[in-house]
Amino acid sequence: MTGGWQAGIDMGGTFIDVVARNTASGEARSAKVRTRTDDRIAGIRAALAAVDLAWEDVDDLTHGTTMATNAIVEEKLAEVALIATEGFADTLEIGRQNRLHLYRLDLPPKVAPQVPAERRFEVAERLDHKGRTLTPLDPGSVEAAVSAATASGAGAVAVVLMHAYANASHEEALAEALAGRLPYVALSSRVNPEAREYERMATTVLSASLMPLVAGYLDGLEAAKPETSRLHLFHSAGGMASPRALRDLPLGLALSGPAAGVAAAGHVAAELGIGHAISFDMGGTTTDVCLITGGRAEIDNDRRIAGRPLRQAMVAVESIGAGGGSIAHLDHGALTVGPESAGADPGPACYGNGGAAPTVTDANLLLGYMDADRLLGGDIGLDRTAARAAIAPLAEAMAMSEEEAALGILRVANASMTRALGRITVERGIDGRDCTLIAFGGAGPMHAVAVARAFGIATVVVPARSSVFSALGCVAAEKSYSQQQTMRMESGEWDSGQVAAVHETMRARLAEPLVAAGHGAEELKTRTVAGVRYSGQSYAVEIAGPALDDPAALGRAFRDLHERLYGFATDEPWELVTLRQTVSVPRAAGGALGPDQTKEGPAARRADGCLFGPEGPVETPRLDRAVLAAGQQVDGPAIIEDAWSTIVLPPGAALRADDRGHLHIDVGSAP
Amino acid sequence: MTAAVDPVTLEVIRNALTAIAEEMSLVVMRAARSPLLREAGDLSSALTDADGNLIAQGRDIPMHLGVMSLTVKEFLKRVRKDRLAPGDVWFLNLPEVGGNHLPDVKAIRPVFADGAIRAFAVSLAHWADIGGAVPGSYVANATDAWQEGLRIAPTRLFTADGPDREKLDLILANVRGADEREGDILAQMAATRAAEDRLLRVYDEHGIGVVEAAVAAIHDRAEAQMREALRALPDGVYEGEDFLDDDAAGGPPLPIRVTVTLDSDRAVFDFTGSGDAARGPLNTTPFIAAASVFYVVKALVGPDIQPSGGCYRPLEVITRPGSVLNPSPDKPVVGGNHETSQRVADAVFRALEPALPEALSAGGPTTSGLLLFGGRREDGAWTTLYETHGGGEGARIDRDGAPVIRVHMSNVMNTPAEVIEAEYPIQVERQALRRGSGGAGRHRGGDGVHREYRMRVDDVSLTSMFERRVVPPYGLQGGENGAPFRVTIVRSGGAEEDLSGKANVRLDRGDRVIVESCGGGGYGRPETDD
Repeated sequence: MTGGWQAGIDMGGTFIDVVARNTASGEARSAKVRTRTDDRIAGIRAALAAVDLAWEDVDDLTHGTTMATNAIVEEKLAEVALIATEGFADTLEIGRQNRLHLYRLDLPPKVAPQVPAERRFEVAERLDHKGRTLTPLDPGSVEAAVSAATASGAGAVAVVLMHAYANASHEEALAEALAGRLPYVALSSRVNPEAREYERMATTVLSASLMPLVAGYLDGLEAAKPETSRLHLFHSAGGMASPRALRDLPLGLALSGPAAGVAAAGHVAAELGIGHAISFDMGGTTTDVCLITGGRAEIDNDRRIAGRPLRQAMVAVESIGAGGGSIAHLDHGALTVGPESAGADPGPACYGNGGAAPTVTDANLLLGYMDADRLLGGDIGLDRTAARAAIAPLAEAMAMSEEEAALGILRVANASMTRALGRITVERGIDGRDCTLIAFGGAGPMHAVAVARAFGIATVVVPARSSVFSALGCVAAEKSYSQQQTMRMESGEWDSGQVAAVHETMRARLAEPLVAAGHGAEELKTRTVAGVRYSGQSYAVEIAGPALDDPAALGRAFRDLHERLYGFATDEPWELVTLRQTVSVPRAAGGALGPDQTKEGPAARRADGCLFGPEGPVETPRLDRAVLAAGQQVDGPAIIEDAWSTIVLPPGAALRADDRGHLHIDVGSAP
Repeated sequence: MTAAVDPVTLEVIRNALTAIAEEMSLVVMRAARSPLLREAGDLSSALTDADGNLIAQGRDIPMHLGVMSLTVKEFLKRVRKDRLAPGDVWFLNLPEVGGNHLPDVKAIRPVFADGAIRAFAVSLAHWADIGGAVPGSYVANATDAWQEGLRIAPTRLFTADGPDREKLDLILANVRGADEREGDILAQMAATRAAEDRLLRVYDEHGIGVVEAAVAAIHDRAEAQMREALRALPDGVYEGEDFLDDDAAGGPPLPIRVTVTLDSDRAVFDFTGSGDAARGPLNTTPFIAAASVFYVVKALVGPDIQPSGGCYRPLEVITRPGSVLNPSPDKPVVGGNHETSQRVADAVFRALEPALPEALSAGGPTTSGLLLFGGRREDGAWTTLYETHGGGEGARIDRDGAPVIRVHMSNVMNTPAEVIEAEYPIQVERQALRRGSGGAGRHRGGDGVHREYRMRVDDVSLTSMFERRVVPPYGLQGGENGAPFRVTIVRSGGAEEDLSGKANVRLDRGDRVIVESCGGGGYGRPETDD
């Protein structure tokens, strides 16, 4: 190791964010460059160059990417062959029989199966739900299925056998038979060892279809990186993963980008001792929010991307279709905003690329929050006249001034965001008003105070480096691997030995890449979460750090938690249903970065008239974020800017900068 | 627009009210004891104005929509407003009081502000048991309403001082699983309380007058949207009919007939010509008929119309007292909720075939395909598997029907085979497409499902409640019908029985039940003539 630098790189559709930290000196640098879809690796070099580093200077590079997400959404996926238990290959097409759209007869009610019937093959075998063999795996049918899959022209194969989560031996036997015949094999018992055959099958098939693409990208990265530099990728559940692990489990990248921002918000919450926080990341077309408890993002194990189920542990990010590009229109006497978006092309009217529809960004510009004279990120100029012209028809229809209409657009956009804040907190039994809002992303800090006020939140934190926050999440990430597995055990028949064996097998598998990366087994930390429920219920509660060797203690912990969550508990028999484990290398102490040294654009300091309410323009100073000293207090109204984002501090709000560069805002109330 | 509220405030308040209704559902799902509520989410939440007109709904379940929009209005006919007090929560489940069937229990809380009732919060939850002849309260051969379970007339279970223990205990003494039911009651109460808290904050923030003006505007806006949608339909008088397989008691097919009158921006749906009340539990209520009509109109012309009391103003739904859609209160109704409601939608769709064939789908699986297995597991625990079976979607003018799907009034998921095998004494031997079951046509109907269940224990009771076994899903514009629904029992000795759509039979170890659900109808004549 030579350079002593750690780098986090978050590659989105438009920009690459980079944050680098020197482990010896504590020096930190950050920058933003354009994504190069034609040559992603050149993009990484350019990002490093933007913070005056060569790849050789970097000991550990952690990379978050939206590549897998985009491949799924755009359906740029490899063709897959499926091998399933006899009688069950159609499960992929049957699904759960529910339709996607309640009132749209014209739209197909479910997504087409990712594997058509002619590439679905079956083998004779059967296990029961405890993993016991009902029908042994028939070698003749294995050979027939393997030959057929090989001949099908598929680029990858998914193997999904009934109850394989309880006993992987039949799937492993198929993997052996497939070895050397097809390069990419995904076993359901490895990708997603959980009950419910359709979700496991769809998840495994999706994972298989990403394998060639992700493997190709990872090969390129590994070939390009210097021998001395280690490479990690940012995992959807909020930790790091090795290229080797992701080659087998590429779905770990499905939420890589948003997860990094949420993880960074988690670090900030932990650093500041915030019990309940909500990350608030507003971009061009969507706003992502996620509940963070005790410094950790809530994890969701069941979600859909582009209509396909994707059952993997991932940060529980909720996306709302309201962002800077969301279009406002008048619909039967109500002003609505989104979900239609002007997107990046043509973009908001004020971008001057031919967009004519009024957007949230146009409203922000017209009200004076954004500075028309500054070039956003160096090359996007803003046209206030165009923004006004786009809003004018709406204003006229509502018999308002353009400024009043712009205020209205923001109120409506903020209302749909507060609705999402309600959902993610009520769902988990938390009073959202007790949370702190951690705002980042291009537009998050612009809306945060208004959203917090509308929802009843008292404090907003705009963290240091908020505009390259996902990259910060990468560089500050913990090296960790997680997986959830079905493990059924009833309280009356508790077998500590069996639970311990499963736990250990899982732990060893998760630890493997960390050990391979040179970490001693003794420095690894294991976190376990058990899903426990009353026998006969279908819904489990999650118990952290369960006493797996002491069923009486586990039972007590379960009843206590059940009482706390649902207001009652009984002495009925209970059962273990899932185990989730995270194996990690604890973060080194002093992980927080020093004061911001982001390469700044030109600083502007002058007073403008901004509009915050019906009282009309208010003299509002613009401050350069870089010059805020620790402990400095700013009272609203004020606009605080850095090269990439704008913080709006309306009248009645007060901001204080701390010595880490985080800005704490007491939202107050409109005077 | 009559009310003086600006478009921005209107949208902000509309969002806040919808958020309240959404959050009510989350509260029930978190707090309820019953898996039916906590996982399957068989529940609905709504806010109404002081007169019982729907203003916001939490989960958009087509079946519950009509019910929720009429429950409070009907409730107020029974319970005068001057009997209501702050802190009250009233429970009821009578089908004839804005209801559907007994297991769907509604909790209603009047929300007071400034000394007057301003709104009602309503929480509907499907209780896993409501008493009656069999566990699970699903009596396929019921011949009167009392066999179906406990009938709860509007009853004040909570006041500002807390629960009325005696009334609560009376109810709990008459349903199975008293602890779980008490959990359901508390969850529904908690949801209405959360709604009250949030509503009071909204009144505080905007002022009662502004909120009430916004509510009036929400109704007007939905009405305007609905009228605009209706104007897009061609005026005329259209007649349609479809048939239930039987009267759930072995009788002949039972007609659902409608005369639809489209007149500019209003529409009348007259079901007077439908058959008399069924002997078995296929009856339903005028509220369910209205829900089905509303579904059809929304699906055909206005999928984005906000559900609100105002939507109903241009629609008139007429049912004949004594008919299957408006029976006397002594008639059984449990299956009508999910079977007859679908036939009402079919009849209206078919009436409109001459007017807008390009907007219609051919006949689909308009049945729940319901099988209930009740039996003891190997470990002695009693279990009931309540399983619905989707079928092939009807084809459309521009595409084939999808395989194995739920359509129209319901959207309940299947239970995974791996869950069935772990939780119930039943093995799933096969789940596959029922190939070739979709009707031929220029576009083919979707295929149904083929699923086989094998009993692992003796003495399992099987109750069926499915349709489209006798009267198959229809083809449109010359397309062929889909294959009818078929359920076959193969006894362990090899004997086969064709199971009727409304039956109670006993199964033993080794017996198999083979479900072949209906295929969708085809669209257009098969020989590609254009």
